[in-house]
Amino acid sequence: MGWLDYFITRDNVPKAPFVLKYESMNQQNIPGIRAIGRLPFTILDTETTGLNPKEDYILSFGAVKLNGYTIKVHTATELYLNAPVIKNEAIKVHGIIPRNEYTQLFIFAEKLLSYIGTDIIVGHHIGFDIALIEKAMKPFGLRKILNPVIDTLDLALRIEKGPYFDYQREPASYSLDQLCTRYGIEVDDRHTAAGDAFLTAQLLMKLLKIAEKKGIRTYKELMR
Amino acid sequence: MSNVIVNRVKEFLRRFPPFTFLDEKSLEHVSTEVEVRYYGQGDKVFGQGEPAQNFFFVIKEGSVKLTENQNGESKVREICDEGDVFGVLALLGKRPYILNAQAYEDTLIYAIPVAVFEKILEENSSVSLYFAAGFASGQVVIRSELSQSKQARKLLTPPSQEDGLMIFTGQSNLNYSKDVLTSPMGVPTHVAVKKMAEKGVGSIVIVSENQFPLGIITDKDLRNNLIAQNRPYDTPVEMIMTSPVLTHRREETFANLYLTMIKNRLHHLIFTEDGTDQSKVTGLVSDHDILLSQGNNPAVIINAILNTWDINEMAVLRSRSDKLLKHYLENEISIDFIAKIMSEINDILIVRAVTIAIKKWEKVYPKESKIKFSFLLLGSEGREEQLLRTDLDNAIVFEDVPADELPKVQEYMLLIGQEVIEILLTCGFHPCPADMMASNPKWCQPLSRWKKYFTTWITNPEAESLLAASIFFDFRNIYGSTYFAEEMIQHIYEEIEGRQIFLNFLAKNAYMNPAPLGFFREFVVEKSGEHRDKFDIKMRAMMPLVDISRLLVLSKKVIGVNNTFKRFEKLAELEPQNKRLFEEAGEAYEIMMRMRALEGLRSSNSGRFLDPKSLGKIQRQLLRNAFEPINDLHKLIRTRFQLDYFG
Repeated sequence: MGWLDYFITRDNVPKAPFVLKYESMNQQNIPGIRAIGRLPFTILDTETTGLNPKEDYILSFGAVKLNGYTIKVHTATELYLNAPVIKNEAIKVHGIIPRNEYTQLFIFAEKLLSYIGTDIIVGHHIGFDIALIEKAMKPFGLRKILNPVIDTLDLALRIEKGPYFDYQREPASYSLDQLCTRYGIEVDDRHTAAGDAFLTAQLLMKLLKIAEKKGIRTYKELMR
Repeated sequence: MSNVIVNRVKEFLRRFPPFTFLDEKSLEHVSTEVEVRYYGQGDKVFGQGEPAQNFFFVIKEGSVKLTENQNGESKVREICDEGDVFGVLALLGKRPYILNAQAYEDTLIYAIPVAVFEKILEENSSVSLYFAAGFASGQVVIRSELSQSKQARKLLTPPSQEDGLMIFTGQSNLNYSKDVLTSPMGVPTHVAVKKMAEKGVGSIVIVSENQFPLGIITDKDLRNNLIAQNRPYDTPVEMIMTSPVLTHRREETFANLYLTMIKNRLHHLIFTEDGTDQSKVTGLVSDHDILLSQGNNPAVIINAILNTWDINEMAVLRSRSDKLLKHYLENEISIDFIAKIMSEINDILIVRAVTIAIKKWEKVYPKESKIKFSFLLLGSEGREEQLLRTDLDNAIVFEDVPADELPKVQEYMLLIGQEVIEILLTCGFHPCPADMMASNPKWCQPLSRWKKYFTTWITNPEAESLLAASIFFDFRNIYGSTYFAEEMIQHIYEEIEGRQIFLNFLAKNAYMNPAPLGFFREFVVEKSGEHRDKFDIKMRAMMPLVDISRLLVLSKKVIGVNNTFKRFEKLAELEPQNKRLFEEAGEAYEIMMRMRALEGLRSSNSGRFLDPKSLGKIQRQLLRNAFEPINDLHKLIRTRFQLDYFG
C-alpha cells in the first residue's frame, strides 16, 4: 500500500483551481479538418518506480512540444518527483539518483497540467504514462486526462501493418528502441524521461510524414 | 526546460563549425533556442527570392539540395549533408534567399535563430570572421568536414585533359611494329617458328594471299596447341594458330586499343588498313609495347632506374616521374599513395647514387670502404613527403673507428657524400641552402659524434638547436645498416627523458610560426622581396603541422613514424579524445601537399609561394579550411606544454 492510497480512498476530493482551469480549457474540441502540420502535440514520457500502475509512482516526467514538424528545444521540460519508496530496480533501469531538484506533488501536478494544456498527448505505450499521471492527479480532484491521446505504437502499427494488425504478434519490433532504429533515429541516452520524449517526438514526426503520404492529412483522419 | 534535450542538441552542434568556436555557455544558450525541424523528401526549406527567415540551418540527419533557378531551369548548386550549415545569408543582410533549399531525402534540421547568433557574432570574433570569410568567398554552404570539401573539389575540378584511364598516362607515343612478320597458310610450323626466332619476335601473323589476317601464332600457341598436344613440328601453321583475330585501325584511341586488349585478354592486337580482318595487315601491337609506351608508369620508371648506371639517363627518368606526379595530382589520387610512389622513386634513385659512388671510390679506399655506414635522408625526404625535387637534406653516419683511422675514413665517407650529391644535383634536385648535406664534413660523422650533436641540441634548446631539430629529427635510413638510425632515436629519447624542458621549447617554437590568415581571414602574403604578394604555404601552413606532429610524436615516444600525416594518424590512435582534430590535421596537411606540388609543377619551382589570386574560389576556401586545425593544435600544445607559463 502506497501513501497515495490515503487520498484514493476518499471520494469527492475538491478540485484544485488549476484542475478546474484545465477541465474548462479541454471542453473545446480540435476541428476535425485541421491539417496535421497545424496540430499541437505534447510528447511525453515518465520514468517510474515500476511497471504496475497500481503500485508504482512517477519518478520523473519529460516532455517536448511539436508543432508543424518543429520542436522548439526551449519548450522541452523535465520534472522530478520525490517518490516515497525508490526501488533499486528502477534506479538500475533509469539511472535516476535521488537529487535535490524534486518538485512537490502539488506543484508537479499544476505544472504538468498547464504544460499539456489542450495539446494532443503522444507517447510510446502512452496508456501506462496516462494511468500514472492520473494517479498523481487524484489528490487534486482530477479523475481523467481529457486531452486526445495518440500512442506512437499504434500509429506505427497502423502505418506499417494497417489498422487491424494484432501487435501482440510482434511486440518486440514495436519497442521504442526498435522503432527508432528502424526509422533511423539515433538512440543515445535512453531511459531518461526527457530523452525518451525527445526520441518519441522524432519518431512521431517521421510517422506523421509517412501518414500524410498515405493520405492521412487531418486531425479527424489521424484520430480515427 | 529540459537539460537532457539541450545537452543532446549541444553535443551534436559542438562537433561542427562555427559551433566549435563557441564556449560552453554560448553553446548552451544557442542549443536552448534551437528548433528541431523535420522535412520529408522534397519538402521546401526555403525558396529563391523569398525573404530570409529568422533562422539559419544545420543538418542533423538527411540531406538538402540547394538549387538555383536560371532561365527557367533549376540547377543544383550544392548538396548539403550532416553537419553542413546553410541559409546563412539570413545572418548577414536579411536579404532574400538566392537559392532554393529542398529536402533531398527525409531530413532533420536544427534551425538556429538569427537573433541568438547575432549576439555571438558581436562577441566572438572567430565566429564572425568564420562567417565573413564564407560570405566573402560567396560560399553558400559551410562544410562540416575537410573530407567533404575535398569531395566537392573533386566534383568541380575538371579531370586532366589527358586520357580517361587513370592508371595510364594517356595517348602517348605508342610504338608498334609496322613490319609485321607474316606467313601464308600451309607452311610447317617449324619453318614459321624459325622466322620468329630469327627476327626475335614472339608472334607471327598468318595471312591469306591478299595479306588479310587469318590468325596469329604466339609462344603461347606453340606451347598449348603444338607441344602440349604432342603434334609434329611440321604441322601446318593454320592448325595451331589462334583464329579469328581481333583487328583495329591504328588511328583508334589508345584507351580503346588498351581496353580491347584487356577485355579480350589479348597480348597482341593486329592493325589493318580499315580496321577489319578484310583488309591488309599494317601493324601489330603487343602488351609489351603498351607497357613501354607508358613511360610514366612507376613500375617502368623504377625498373629503368634499376637498369642503368648512366647518370644522365637517371636524370631523364627522374624528370619523367614529374609527369606521373602531375597526372596523379590532377586525378586526385590519394596523397598517401602519391607520396609513397614518389618517395620510392627518389629512394631508388638515391640508393643508386650511393652505389655508384661506392663503386667509384671503394678501389681507392679498400680498407675504409669496409666501414659500415648509413645514408640518412632528413627533413621532408626523411618524412617521405618530398613530391618535388626540392632541397636536398641528408647526412652520413658511420661506425666509430679508432682516432688514428678517423681522418682517412672521414675522407672516404665525404667523397661518397659529395659524389651522391653531385649525382642528385644532375638529376634535378636542389642543394640545401643551409648545406645540411652529406657532402658537408659537419654532417658526415661517426655515430658517437652524432649522438653528441643530439645531446647538444636537446640540452641547449636555442634557436639554432631548434632549427636543427626540425631537420635532423626527421631522419630515415635509406642505405646501409638500420643500426645507426635505431641507435640515434634511442639516444634522442634517452636525452629527452631527463629534459622535459626541451619539449617545451620545441612546443614554443612550433607555436611561433607566423599565422596563415590575417585579421580578416585574408591570406598573409609576403610584404617584399622576390615573393612579394605571395603566400608562403610552407612556412605559414605546413611547418606548423610538421612541427606540431613531430613534437607530439616525440612526447609520446613513438618510434618509426616519420610522415606528418602518418604521425597525425598515429596520434589519433593514441589520443582518442583528440581523434577528430588529429585526423583533420592530417587531412589538412595532405591538401597542402597537393596544392604545393601542383603549384610547383606549374611554376617549375618548389611550389612554396602561392599567389592567392591565382587560386580558385574552392581552392581558397579549401586552404582556409585546412588552416583550421592549426589553431586548435596551437591551443592544445599551449595547454599541454604550459606555454603560458613559459618564457
